[in-house]
Amino acid sequence: MNTSSIIEAKELVKKFGGQKAVDGVSLSVQKGEVIVILGPSGSGKSTLLRCLNGLERFDSGEVVIDGEKMDHGHKAIHQVRKKIGMVFQQFNLFPHLNVLKNLTLAQEVVLNRDKDRAERKASELLSKVGLTDKKDSFPAQLSGGEQQRVAIARALSLNPSIMMFDEPTSALDPEMIGEVLGVMKELAKEGMTMLVVTHEIGFAREVADRIVFMDEGKIVEKGSADQILNRPKNQRTREFLSNVL
Amino acid sequence: MLDIINWLFLQIKILFNILKFLGPAIPMTIKITILSFALSLFLGLFVGIARISKRRFFSFLSKIYVDLIRGVPLLVQIFFIYFGLGKILNLDRFLAGVLAVGICYSAYLAEIFRAGIQAIPRGQFEAALSLGMTPYQTLRHIILPQSFRIVIPPVANEFIASLKDSSLVSIIGLRELTRAGREYYSTYFVDFHTWLLVGLIYLVMTLSLSRVVSWTEKKFKVHGYGVM
Repeated sequence: MNTSSIIEAKELVKKFGGQKAVDGVSLSVQKGEVIVILGPSGSGKSTLLRCLNGLERFDSGEVVIDGEKMDHGHKAIHQVRKKIGMVFQQFNLFPHLNVLKNLTLAQEVVLNRDKDRAERKASELLSKVGLTDKKDSFPAQLSGGEQQRVAIARALSLNPSIMMFDEPTSALDPEMIGEVLGVMKELAKEGMTMLVVTHEIGFAREVADRIVFMDEGKIVEKGSADQILNRPKNQRTREFLSNVL
Repeated sequence: MLDIINWLFLQIKILFNILKFLGPAIPMTIKITILSFALSLFLGLFVGIARISKRRFFSFLSKIYVDLIRGVPLLVQIFFIYFGLGKILNLDRFLAGVLAVGICYSAYLAEIFRAGIQAIPRGQFEAALSLGMTPYQTLRHIILPQSFRIVIPPVANEFIASLKDSSLVSIIGLRELTRAGREYYSTYFVDFHTWLLVGLIYLVMTLSLSRVVSWTEKKFKVHGYGVM
């Protein structure tokens, strides 16, 4: 195993009722790297991401995050999870809390930050995603793009070492996609380690250090954005790209 | 005309006399209802959470508890707790009454809490867990506050039902409203007025509770929150 990797997955297998959703995937991610995971629906991209952040219990294999082994039998799995910020397709903001509280709750509960410090951090992040004026709003009062930007700010509030995005723009109206991708590009520029499941080929081309193409639970091909998008070696990758480009 | 006025005055006087007799029993009805419902809420929440526990031992045990309690009439439970357990554990009427109503309603509340928790989208659990919260923190800060808003109406229904069912503890000699009504009736043989007034007092209490519930629902309403 590569000891300088921030994420190290080895021979990961996840089954749903006998069907392998992730089939022997090994992946190593370096600190500061932006990896985009592409693939058709049902190829195991989201499941892979969920295995890597401990939301899904994998059947075999090994995951090491920033030197700590992911172990579902161990009570401190939440300690590993807090190193990873996760952004979901459906935002999953807490509807009963306003935007500010969405950003401060985990800081207070998980990191034991005092209220003032948590609110300072929240304000800083809201300013970063351009939503300072929305801190008192409830999620239902925001547009999809705004909700997703709040979700990104919330994930960043714990100072994670890694950010994972599970199709963050799939549930958005086309004109709102840009604002979310803009925030993600900023993060990438700042050197955040990112794993992004998306169908946004333009984003992948512009930001990804590497692209991983998955099909039927396996990594079919991986390489630089230029190589995968312009000179794919695998037939399945070529078919996929010809359909989406 | 004068006859009608005299008759009306007589009716009011009878009702007023009955009210004076029933009055002291009303606090007992309120006390039994509040204490037994507090017990129901406490037990119901734990049993409701246990019902959805991944640990089979807890979910199995809580299912048996719910099935057992729901399957036996409250009156039988009152008899069992007062005459059965009460003799062994030396329970007085009041404690036995509160325990019986409290335990009975806890089973119904457990199912309401279970449904309330299961109504919260899975994404909410996942978002909280992905922020490093423990399952307990997730339940405490994310799931229960949202479930609470969902279960206010059915829990309030149970509260009103338990107020009415508190009348059953009159059977073991607790002098609450219904018992006081029976005492008045058996002493003065005024049936229509007695039971009319007992019914009206229950109605006033349940309608007042309904108002409190409406106020609570409004107070906890979150703008644009779909479930309310």
